Order: sequence, then C-alpha cells, then structure tokens
Amino acid sequence: MVKLTRRAALGTIGAATAMAAMPAFAAERRIRHFWWGNPERDRRTFEVIDLYKAHHPGIEVSGETIGWGDYWTKMATQTAGGNMADLVQMDYRFLFEYVRRGALQSLDEHIGNGLDLSNLDAGPVEGGMVDGKLYALNIGSNTQVMPYNIRLLDEAGVDADVINWTREEFGAACEQITSKTGARGSDDYSLTTENMEAWIRQEGYEFYDAEGNVAAKAEDVAAFWQFWADLRNAGIVADKNKTVMVDASMSDWGIVTGDSAISSCWSNQLVAVQSLTQDTIGAAMLPHKAGGVFGQYIKPSQFLALTRDSTDVEAAVAYMNDWVNDPEATAVLGLERGIPASSVVREALAPNLNEAEKLSVEFFAAVQDKVSPLPLPAPKGAGEVRDAFARTGTEVVLGSMDIMEAAERFVDDAQSIVDRAR
Amino acid sequence: MKRFLRRNAAGYVFLTPWFLGFFLLALGPILASLYLSFTRYDMIGAPRWDGLGNYEYMFTRDRRFWKALTVTFSYVALAVPARLIMALGVAMLLDKGLRSISFYRAIFYLPSLLGASIAIAILWRQLFELDGVVNDVLALFGIQGAAWISNPDTSLYTLVVLAMWQFGSPMLIFLAGLRGIPKDLYEAAEIDGTSKRRQFFRITMPLLAPVIFFNLVLQTIEAFKTFSSAFIISDGTGAPADSLLFYTVFLFNEAFKFFRMGYASALAWVLLLIIGFFTAITFLTSKYWVHYENERD
Repeated sequence: MVKLTRRAALGTIGAATAMAAMPAFAAERRIRHFWWGNPERDRRTFEVIDLYKAHHPGIEVSGETIGWGDYWTKMATQTAGGNMADLVQMDYRFLFEYVRRGALQSLDEHIGNGLDLSNLDAGPVEGGMVDGKLYALNIGSNTQVMPYNIRLLDEAGVDADVINWTREEFGAACEQITSKTGARGSDDYSLTTENMEAWIRQEGYEFYDAEGNVAAKAEDVAAFWQFWADLRNAGIVADKNKTVMVDASMSDWGIVTGDSAISSCWSNQLVAVQSLTQDTIGAAMLPHKAGGVFGQYIKPSQFLALTRDSTDVEAAVAYMNDWVNDPEATAVLGLERGIPASSVVREALAPNLNEAEKLSVEFFAAVQDKVSPLPLPAPKGAGEVRDAFARTGTEVVLGSMDIMEAAERFVDDAQSIVDRAR
Repeated sequence: MKRFLRRNAAGYVFLTPWFLGFFLLALGPILASLYLSFTRYDMIGAPRWDGLGNYEYMFTRDRRFWKALTVTFSYVALAVPARLIMALGVAMLLDKGLRSISFYRAIFYLPSLLGASIAIAILWRQLFELDGVVNDVLALFGIQGAAWISNPDTSLYTLVVLAMWQFGSPMLIFLAGLRGIPKDLYEAAEIDGTSKRRQFFRITMPLLAPVIFFNLVLQTIEAFKTFSSAFIISDGTGAPADSLLFYTVFLFNEAFKFFRMGYASALAWVLLLIIGFFTAITFLTSKYWVHYENERD
C-alpha cells in the first residue's frame, strides 16, 4: 500500500483540481433556450437549433420545452433559483413584470452590434420595449380572428363583408346560417376575456386604465354578456353546455366539429384550425360596434428575451439574430409563431406558403389599417382576472346569475385582484 | 435514560432511514413554509415580512378561501361515508367465502391502484361529458343526459362517484377485520334466531369498530388531500364556476399560478390544522364507539 504524505495528498488534489478545470478552456460554449410549445413548434425550434449549431461550431444549444400551463411555473422557479435559461420565450403580458424585477437584460447595446434589426418593422419591435429600452425581440405578431366555414356561409347566402361587419350583421349572419344550414351560426364567447376586452375597446376605452386599475364599467361588461345571451336564447350560437365545457381543446371548437360555422382565436392558429377542419376556412374580424373602432389590435405573439443569468451573451445574441434574419432558420420557423416582423423574411416566405398560411398573411394585411394601437400590458393579476371572468361567465351562461349582478361582481372582483397583486 | 436507550435503541436504529429523510428533506421545507406563511413572496423577488397579513386576508376577505372550504367539506362529507359503505358492502360479499376469492379481491382492488393516476381523471372526464359514455348508456333507457362535469350543480358528484369506485384499500382492511370475527358468535346468534340485520348491528359492527375507526381516519385525511383528480377534471382552475375548487387545487393555484407563495404556505398550514382538528375529534369520540378486544382483559 502506498503511503500518502500530506504533501503528496495536496499535490494530488491540486492536480485533480487542475484537471477538472482544464476542460473549461476547450469546453464547448453552451446556451440554453426555454420556450412553451406544442409538437409542431417544438419540431421547428429544434430544427433551428440544429441549424445554429451547424453555423456556429463549438456552441452547444440545449432546448427545453413545456406546455403553456406549466411554463410560467417553471420559469418562476428557475428565476427564484437563479438558473434561468440564457434565452426565454416571453409573452407580452409578463414582459413588464420580468423586466421590473431585473430578470431580463436590455438588448440596446447589441443592436447593430450582433443583433441586426434593420429589416424589422418598427411597430412589432417597439412592442418589446420597456421604459424606452428594448428587452425582448419580437418573433411573430398576432391578431384576433374569427375563422369561418366558407361553404356554410355560402349555403346560407351570407353576403356580409366579414372584415367590416358590425355586431348586428354578425347576429343576422348567425340567424341565417342556423335557419338555412342546420349548423349553429357561431360558437359562444361569453367566457373569453380577449373578446370581452375587444368589446370594451369598441366602446372607446381600455379594460385597464394607465394606472392598471379596472376601468371597465359593469354595464358594458353586462352588454357584452347580453349580446351573447340574446344569440344563445335564439338558438343561433353554440349550446350552453358546449360553451361552459371545461378545457375545450381546438378539436372541440364549433368550426372544427362542424357544429357551428364561426369560431374565434388568434391568427397564428389559423393554420392549425384549417388542418383539423374539412371545409375550407376564411378569416373574419371581430364584429364591431357600428360607427365605432374595430377593437382588436396587433399583438406581439411571442418574444425571445435574454435573461440576467445568461453567461455567454455573445452566443445568445447571435442566436437571437438568426431567429429574425437567417434565411434558413426563418424558413423553418415560417408563420408558426405569428407573422415575422422582418419584411425581407416575409417576402422570402411568400412563394412557399400553403393556403391557410396565405389566408393568415392576407388577413393580416387586410386588418393592418383598421386595428387599434397596442394597449399597455395588462397589470399584474390579469391572469387571475381571466379566471374570474370565465368563472362568472359560466354562471351567466348557465343562467344561475343575473347578468347585471354578475357584471358588477366581476368588475369588483377584478379590481380587488389587481389591488392585491400590486 | 441509559435504560431507555438500551431498551429502545434498536427501534431508533430501524427508524434512521425515516429520520434521515425527515431531517434532511422534510424539516427544512416545513420550517421554511412556516416562515413564508408570514411573508409576501412571489418567487422572483425576496420574501417580504407581512406578519399575520396572509391569515387575516384569508379569513376576512378571501371569498374563494371559503368557497374552497365549502367544496372540500362537502366532498369529505359525501365521499368518505360513500366509499366506506361501498368498501364494507363489498368486503361482506367477499367474506361469504366465494370461490376464487383472490381473483375478485384483485379485480376490486384494481381501481384503487389506478385511481390517483392522471389517466383515470381524463377518462372520467370523457365518461361524464355531454357526449360521454354515461349519457350514451342513459340514452338507451330513454333518459336525457346532462353535461355532468361542466355543470357546477353536478360536477362534484362525479368526483364522489370516482371516490366510491376506488374503495379497494379500505375494502381489504375491512375484509381482514371481518375474517377476525369469531364465527361461533354468528352460529350462537343463528341458534337464538337472531335476524341477519340484528347480527350485523350487534355483532359485526361492534367487533369491526376498531377497523372502521382506522379506515375513517385514513380516508378522511385522504379525502382532504384530494388533488390530482380534481386538478385534471377542472382543468387546474376549479372550474366550472369554482364548483371543483378543492382546497388543494386552490392552494396550488395560489402558489404556482398566481405566485403567492407566502399566501399558499399560510393555506397549507391552515389545512394541516384542519386535518389535525378532525383527526383529533375522531380520536376523542372514538372511546364512545370503539372498543378493543384486549381492553377487557
């Protein structure tokens, strides 16, 4: 047995330490990207990661993906633990919160210096700014859309202009579709916050004011519920049991099942809706108040943001740059995350789009000059307000609560939720 | 002290794995959650001391807290007796000395193995939806079904039915208890011409009381902790209209959806007190209705 002296032992430990440290020089550089996704999005993203690794040898990228529901939980846990991924997918509603808490790094110093934004439209880029500094890179824009079944609308003889239609014209179309085709006119959106918020905007103001308080008047919320209640009671929108179905997935939507002719969603979902729907779909705007504004707006659908825990900023910024400029990467990404902000990328994609993708590009172009400006991000607690809206909406739809009373309670609840979240 | 150690050392040595787990893994988080329950903590910033603020808000201003209690207590009050009666009934059937009893025992126990799983919760939703199997069967008898899960008036009952269906583990314990009752007692009663009903209430129930007590305590605790089935069936929110807002689902939402870790910690401690209170009540009342064979010796 070899007898170890103190010195030899120290020497061995020292050498071992040096050995352990050695690979650090030759080690691959490594960045992590974390996003919420679905199988299709994950496939495309991993393909982009492979492209990046091919273009930047020596840099390892690890992709981490999870569904939307668990994404923010994991993100909060990682933020609390100080091990955020270098790059995270960010949503407009959470952007301010994460920036204000110092979880994200500003991208200003990298613009024109690793991050080329020269081909990007100004509007979508500004959506990623907080207090005048850029914190998040737009990787796709979105707007609300009502996909409709072209065949059913034709059969019913609906000739309304579905871009410029009013609430009354929408109701009349539902009536016509139901009486002529047997399918219901539309799904019922009494539980969907975005549709209610657009309604409020059509009344000329935002649901939240600039201080983040609930500005919505109970009578306007009640009018929204009343609008749908009238259609529901006339039997020309989806049955109440379908409307209150917990966690309905896209395959339960009326447009997909054929139970109704019109549904409502985000424009980057058009491709997925078409792939599940037998008939060809068209794209309509939300019906608006006659003589008023349209109420919907173009929203940055997703961002890529650089976190404070990033260790290899240079590699991370190069990765971000590829996402909006690299011809191969942007071709793989396509329109899946929304409409790209870069005009060059849009032109390059145009010749290879399928019908549903063309539809979303055309729809986007058609609504461009009708939409309202991007509202301020919703205050903290807005996610909880959504839950409260669906909860109260369920009682309204099932008729277990008077509409005006429900609207007053919801507005009260919403204000106390944002008060508490401050 | 020395004598105590000498007598009990072996026991403590055997308990070391549990002690290690408790002190290394559980104790820290438990103390941390007690501390956090007095703070406001959103997981991104540092916790801020808030004294009794969370507890005050919970009891005086949080409507959903009371709703969660109502839902959970209704569930416990319905599901625990339903499951125990079901379990006792099946145990008594199996105790008749059927052939291939081990086969039936396994079959009846199966739902309990699957019960806590996500798959069953999803299956449950399919069964009780508007176009689900339950309504298809009802339609055969000309009965117009309903949207059992999406309707706040009926959704909780679908979970009670799920709880009933998972009667396996109390059933096994009842079965063991029934086997332990001396058969000659029944024979004597038979000779005296005692009715079956009377036999059940005068022989079976009293002699089974310790087992009933054991099952009652365990199942009550279990019922208070119901989470995964309610979470899945309600899409994680307690929907429809908070009718499935189980205490644990509420707690999870506060912690991991709205990031109020401090408040959620306070909720967890209140749940601990509630479960402790009910267990204590059951134990205290037990001396009036449970007696143990060996106490008489």
